[in-house]
Amino acid sequence: MASFVRLSSVCHRGVKPLFARNTFLARELFACRTFREKDSMQVQVHASSHSAASSKAASLHWTGERLLSVLLLGMVPAAYMYPGPVVDYTVAAALTLHGHWGIGQILTDYVHGETKIKLANAGLYTLSMVTFAGLCYFNYKDVGICKAIAMLWRI
Amino acid sequence: MALLLRSIARPGLYVSRSQFGVLYRHAVPMGTTAKEEMNKFWAKNTRLNRPMSPHITIYSWSIPMMMSITHRGTGVGLSGGISLFAVAALVLPGNYPYYLDLIHSLSFGPQFLAFSKFALAFPVTYHTCNGIRHLMWDTGKGFKIPEVYRSGYVVMALSVLSSIGLACL
Repeated sequence: MASFVRLSSVCHRGVKPLFARNTFLARELFACRTFREKDSMQVQVHASSHSAASSKAASLHWTGERLLSVLLLGMVPAAYMYPGPVVDYTVAAALTLHGHWGIGQILTDYVHGETKIKLANAGLYTLSMVTFAGLCYFNYKDVGICKAIAMLWRI
Repeated sequence: MALLLRSIARPGLYVSRSQFGVLYRHAVPMGTTAKEEMNKFWAKNTRLNRPMSPHITIYSWSIPMMMSITHRGTGVGLSGGISLFAVAALVLPGNYPYYLDLIHSLSFGPQFLAFSKFALAFPVTYHTCNGIRHLMWDTGKGFKIPEVYRSGYVVMALSVLSSIGLACL
């Protein structure tokens, strides 16, 4: 990965190098000199929203994740105060999506290699679809999520 | 050094756009995305068959580390439980009250029931409380190390207390 350090932040500042090795010093001096001379020393950066070619998909995904988390948090008092089909289906959707995105992050962290990533994500999609279908079926045919928790707790 | 070589190799890309702001007057966007860079890293290391550098086996565990992986663990556990429940709803023959009566007929003692409720509630309360802690970090607050530890203790205390409270209901 390219370094984000601006050479000007270490050059011409009278910063004493920690290591008095000649090679280190020489490289530093060379780099500083080049910076001054060319005045076009380029610092490689990951330009986020400024580059025309980049997409905002990842950033929007991140925001979506946080918004969904807040929504799910709001579902807790909502389920307590207004149990019923509206909350049941909203919880089913929010819970499944939150879990889907969460596991997605875990796969991104630990699974590497193009085919493995594709397989893992395909498996995740299947799991999430089945989960959502199952929860909706439960809401429709059976007692529903809110009632189910209430009944379980009264056992 | 790599920085130097890269800049020399790309003379035509020099740009000084005001969009980048004063700080990045001499900045040039990289040709690859972060995702591509990460994939390149893994591809190279797998190709060279390099062993994984020891990390969790040698690094001293800290409270923030443990809380973080517990957050992930409870997330996976809860997600798995929900999926299991959903599949059961689709596959099993009877309806929910039927299975509840089945459990009821097993006549577990009140302490066992209270403990089971605690065991069910704790992952939910922990994940929720730590989730709120995460959301606070997302607003940019609470990153100083003493703050991290303090909020961690608060989360642990709240999770345990609310789980006990719920188990008593």
